[in-house]
Amino acid sequence: MRGLWWVLLLILAAGIALSLLLGPMEGAPGWVVLRLRLPRTALALMAGASLAVSGCVLQAVLRNGLATPYTLGISAGAGVTAGALLLSGAVVSRMVLVLSGTAGALATVAAVYALARAAAGGGTGSRIVLAGVTLNLIGASVLLLFEYLSPASRLVEIIRWMMGDLSAVDSQLPLYLLPFTVAGLAAAGARAGVLNQLESGPGLAASRGVSIVRERTLLLAAAALLAGGTVGAVGPIGFVGLIVPHMMRRLAGGDYRRLVYASALGGAALLLLADVAARLVISPAELPIGVVMSILGGPFFLYLLLRGGRRTG
Amino acid sequence: MPAVLEAGALSAGYAGRTVLSGLSLELMPGEICGVIGPNGVGKSTLLRALLDLGPEASGSVRICGGDSAEMSRMERARLVAYVPQDSAPSPGLTVMESVLLGRHPHRRGWSADSPRDLEVARRSMESTETWELRDRPFGEISGGERRRVLIASALAQEPRLLLLDEPGASLDFRHRVNLWLLLGRLASRGLAVLVTTHETNVASAFLHRVLLLREGGHVQGAPEEIFRADLLSEVFGVRLSVRRAGPGWQVVPSLPDRPS
Repeated sequence: MRGLWWVLLLILAAGIALSLLLGPMEGAPGWVVLRLRLPRTALALMAGASLAVSGCVLQAVLRNGLATPYTLGISAGAGVTAGALLLSGAVVSRMVLVLSGTAGALATVAAVYALARAAAGGGTGSRIVLAGVTLNLIGASVLLLFEYLSPASRLVEIIRWMMGDLSAVDSQLPLYLLPFTVAGLAAAGARAGVLNQLESGPGLAASRGVSIVRERTLLLAAAALLAGGTVGAVGPIGFVGLIVPHMMRRLAGGDYRRLVYASALGGAALLLLADVAARLVISPAELPIGVVMSILGGPFFLYLLLRGGRRTG
Repeated sequence: MPAVLEAGALSAGYAGRTVLSGLSLELMPGEICGVIGPNGVGKSTLLRALLDLGPEASGSVRICGGDSAEMSRMERARLVAYVPQDSAPSPGLTVMESVLLGRHPHRRGWSADSPRDLEVARRSMESTETWELRDRPFGEISGGERRRVLIASALAQEPRLLLLDEPGASLDFRHRVNLWLLLGRLASRGLAVLVTTHETNVASAFLHRVLLLREGGHVQGAPEEIFRADLLSEVFGVRLSVRRAGPGWQVVPSLPDRPS
């Protein structure tokens, strides 16, 4: 078990070094590293850790292995508000776009939770996931409509954002994401033991002293902060929240007191390395990170599912 | 010695539909009380109401002398452990980790497993004969083993009262007998046990008291007062014959002859 932590930290360190050293510019001057690559590296670290832990928390709280920021419609929600802003024609800074995306993501979680609770029978895990999947589909269609209605000049901007974008043109962006990441990770990390209980089911968890409604709300809010802040900052990046917790479950076991931390390290390392790859493959141009993650992540997840055949939920 | 559980004028139900009403129950340390009755009469609801796990309930519940309504969930969880009928901890945990989940009410926040947590878990597993399984994934052990692991996890809470919902369901004869022998041993060490069951043929040999729930009421008493053909036939709505068999009672439905 100790070996796993060292391996994860080593991969992470290697990822950070590669991310700072590699890029379209050979032997880049110091200011490129400092002003462009450092913020980008920081952004990838925080976004990766946030998405992975968000998925990890959602899977435990909703007791559903398919619950992720993406399937719950959080990404689509962020896309709709950010897209609406772009469509309105208002000239806004990147930061305002980011804020509106975050607000959309948080509103989606609140809506999913409220919808599921309003349904007869209460907010069971699978009901929340279904509500999220539905909102995700609606959001995706609304976004297509926005794109259809958008003037061509703004279309590029919105499409680019929807593909996931780590190229932090604004070096303030990591600072913006930092509080979301810190607050979310702290809340999830401190309640890892509660995640174990929630995954055992509400009856058993409550009988062991867990206040179900309070803990669920708190942890869903933490997951929403992590995913909402991230999607707002860098756009929707799928699969990190799905693959990393599943992969770490196999490596670190099912105890969330290890799984949450392993997911944070694994998510940061994965997104960092994927971003390095996205920068290098067709250098000097780069691939959108969201697309890279899906193309790499989808098949890998299928492989995980089909191999072994063990229950992963 | 004070009672472990005192319920007075307890009523419980869901969304306006009353399932149990006016139930009083007292359980002393070391007592095993069986809750029997037809399906849907409120056996599980009773256990859930005692722990405030969902049913709307009124009346008083005192646990080890304290008013349950004034206890926090954590305080209650240090006195009462519960094994629901359909409990399924995450299959990715090992048996040891599943048992350690029972230590939750004795922990603060995150906290790693303390030496005491590990020691209590080991004792719980030894008394349920699950220590040898400790490194196996919970998802890969047999149904009988799972029941014992869930009970070990409940014992790791170091409770004074154990609530079990149909612990023998889906177990074969050997596992069912072993399960009740285990409950007998636990009770002999002072644990109070309230257990719902349909397995009266095995259970009756171990019960000190029986609470028979019926549509719109209940009867309670010593096993010899409850295991009577007339009473059980009327409550269950089918003709039953009851006879003494060793330490327990055999309850057998009367069936029509097999067509020749």
